[in-house]
Amino acid sequence: MRRLILKRLGLMVVMLLGLAVITFTIANVAPGDPARLAAGPDASQEMVEQVRAERGFDKPVPVRFMIYLGQLARGDLGTSVYTGREVSRDIAQFLPATVELVLFAITIAIVFGIPLGVLAAVWQNKATDHGIRLLAVSGAALPMFWLGLMLQWYLALELDLFPLGGRLGVFDDVPPKITGMITVDALLNGDPGTALTAMWHMVLPALALSLPALAAIIRVNRAEMLEVLGRDYVTNARAQGIGPFRIIAVYSLKNAILPTLAMIGLRFGWMLGGTVLVEGVFDFPGVGLYAAKAAVSSDFEPIMAVTLILGAAFMFTNLLIDLAYALLDPRVRNQV
Amino acid sequence: MKLRMLTSAMALAATLVSPVQAAEKRDGEFWMVIGGRQAVSHIDPGQSYDYSIRMMTQALYDGLVKYSGNPPEVEPWLATDWTTSEDGLTWTFNLAESATFHNGDPVTAEAVVYSYQRVLEMNEGVAWMLSDILKPENIKATGEHTVEFTLDRPYAPFLSFLPWWFVVNPAQVEPNVVDGDFGKAWLSENDAGSGPYELERFDQGTAYWLRRDDDYWKGFPYEAEDMGGIIYRLIQESSSQRAALMSGEADLVTDLTPEEFEVVGARPDIEVSSTPALTTFGLKMNTQGEYMSDVNLRKAVAHAFDYETFVQVYNGNAKLQTSPFADAIRGKVEIDMPRKDIEKAKEYLGKTEWPEGGITLEYVYVQGLEQQRQMGLSLLNSLKELNIELEMVPLTWPNMVARASSIEESPDLLAIFATPVSTDPDAVAIQYHPSSHGKYYGSHFLEDEELKAMIEEARRISDWEERAPIYAKIQQRIADLQPEIFGMLRQRQFAYRTYVQGYVDSPIRMTGEVDLYPLYIQP
Repeated sequence: MRRLILKRLGLMVVMLLGLAVITFTIANVAPGDPARLAAGPDASQEMVEQVRAERGFDKPVPVRFMIYLGQLARGDLGTSVYTGREVSRDIAQFLPATVELVLFAITIAIVFGIPLGVLAAVWQNKATDHGIRLLAVSGAALPMFWLGLMLQWYLALELDLFPLGGRLGVFDDVPPKITGMITVDALLNGDPGTALTAMWHMVLPALALSLPALAAIIRVNRAEMLEVLGRDYVTNARAQGIGPFRIIAVYSLKNAILPTLAMIGLRFGWMLGGTVLVEGVFDFPGVGLYAAKAAVSSDFEPIMAVTLILGAAFMFTNLLIDLAYALLDPRVRNQV
Repeated sequence: MKLRMLTSAMALAATLVSPVQAAEKRDGEFWMVIGGRQAVSHIDPGQSYDYSIRMMTQALYDGLVKYSGNPPEVEPWLATDWTTSEDGLTWTFNLAESATFHNGDPVTAEAVVYSYQRVLEMNEGVAWMLSDILKPENIKATGEHTVEFTLDRPYAPFLSFLPWWFVVNPAQVEPNVVDGDFGKAWLSENDAGSGPYELERFDQGTAYWLRRDDDYWKGFPYEAEDMGGIIYRLIQESSSQRAALMSGEADLVTDLTPEEFEVVGARPDIEVSSTPALTTFGLKMNTQGEYMSDVNLRKAVAHAFDYETFVQVYNGNAKLQTSPFADAIRGKVEIDMPRKDIEKAKEYLGKTEWPEGGITLEYVYVQGLEQQRQMGLSLLNSLKELNIELEMVPLTWPNMVARASSIEESPDLLAIFATPVSTDPDAVAIQYHPSSHGKYYGSHFLEDEELKAMIEEARRISDWEERAPIYAKIQQRIADLQPEIFGMLRQRQFAYRTYVQGYVDSPIRMTGEVDLYPLYIQP
């Protein structure tokens, strides 16, 4: 087990280095002049050159890459050309919001996805199955931002059930920062009202964000359950007179859940990326919105930092899933 | 396009069902929520500026003078009056003795000197406006409330730039200077001003809270004492802005798209303001490029273009340019501008190397801006009659700015909104002077000795009666050289709930910028 963890962590470092090379290269061959951007559109050429020298944009690309790597090693993610702030500070501010949103969204996907997958398998080719499969297909096909707009229009504007956007109402007090996740911070500060308000603000963006994952979980879980339900030991269990609920919940689901777990891990990474689309629609001040803004501004250091952090989160989640696999399945554990 | 139609249709449907909401109070005070699409990256008046930064800094700080009204006039603010020496070099300003910073310190001449020197030495933000004609050491406090500027050479537009130079309190900035950074890091998120509002909260990327300074030294133009403050809330999508305004989550929104503006304008509980801006929209031609270096081709394209499309794209909320200068620019004269005339276009084309057409021109515009795409399509259609192809290239704004910075990269046609920062004609004329080469609005790389000499002469003269005729000639010369298709003046469009009072328009402000000082809520 320890070997597995060390091996995977080592691999993660190599992969992150590769990611840094790729993002740095893309950022530096892309058109756009960050010095001009920083100096402002009216700035004289002399002012632009002053910024270029100050920020090191005048150095050759390999030199800049080495400087960048050195910065990364010290935990310095650079400075945003657009805001002039340290990227690490921006990320510390925006990332908790995104993590909170993604956790909320993945919870929705799991809580609804697994039971729906089971139901579809149990009632295969019945109306319930067809209905659930339609939901799964729609979830995979509908663009997240479009779904977000629809939810916003109908549930927020027309029915006035949810707020249009943001993390809290404009007059709500933000709880003192502990984790940066408002629901958690509010609860830690003994303020369940604010936690509920924050959760209320997350419902629509989380729904939009969760639907593709929900669809994937349903599909995988349904397929696995169908396979498991057809196995001999299940038939044997039935023959022994074990009740259907126990067969499904204990005998089948435990074996069918592993591939679903892997899918959840993968989807967690996709969702982090998906926030770029959803956060814009709901003005949810997370790292996705930050990255989108940086991308249209050719503000490279935030883009590179967000890519690296999301990449690391993606890899780390996969590591956790693999560990969960090993814990749940003795065969995997023994292979390691 | 379909999505936009759908969202507009949905918005219209929502119009019929949404309840009318009244303004909300917090702790007995009204807080006005402004929904804007652009984050406020910092509030340091000395660093960069854009419309959202300028809106905030104008509320937090005072300048020696301020622009107001329509047409915009420079009016006294921190400076009660000023004099200019005979030779036009020395400008002396007397300050209001009652002016105080938010922490109670008096606004002194030393603070003015410090603020101007800080910006000039940093050489960022607004520095470009004065750095050529004013050295930091030539700004002096000659009394506790008197400050003197000595220019290197006479410069008529000097006063017209001063509204964007704000005064900071050195006693607050100096202790926060770290490693010679001029206090930039601290001033990015803290206020050291004397303006009508104080910073209460700065939630980067979310909302920015300004509390009204009840004891503002200059007072307020209204008597609503229950006006607590203003929250500038970031709402990045135009459709979300519209929804927020209709639901009452925002009281005023800036920079709506023409479609959204139409939708909200139809409601009885929403007021709209649509007034001509200083901003011109034109298609700049690279006059040193392979094709557009031929003035006859430039004129052919200008005569082929369908100008009426411009106005239609903005649902009538736009006006065709009748001079290279916008209407509110001082000294603007009416010029006979090209309008669609295919016969004339063919005549000009006949005088070029490509009398039968057969060439492809590149049209670069801002990615995602539907209006600019539609204008490109209209041009593409018009040019077919000349057998000229148009390649439409959408780029992000920074990439466009980068393309515009060199003669080799600058496209044949570049769609540009340009907002002069001053009503002085020099602010527009300078776009056609070689000193603007490399800047986005100088992407035509125009070189004309006669024009250059006139621009340089006009900016040195202080007497307006002498300057005005030169600017009339400058406008005609620019039009004759046809460095761009002079398009339209886009309207400045704002929408707000009917209980929002005091909105004053001034075309000198940028597309999404509002003067927060006179605004208040009166349900």
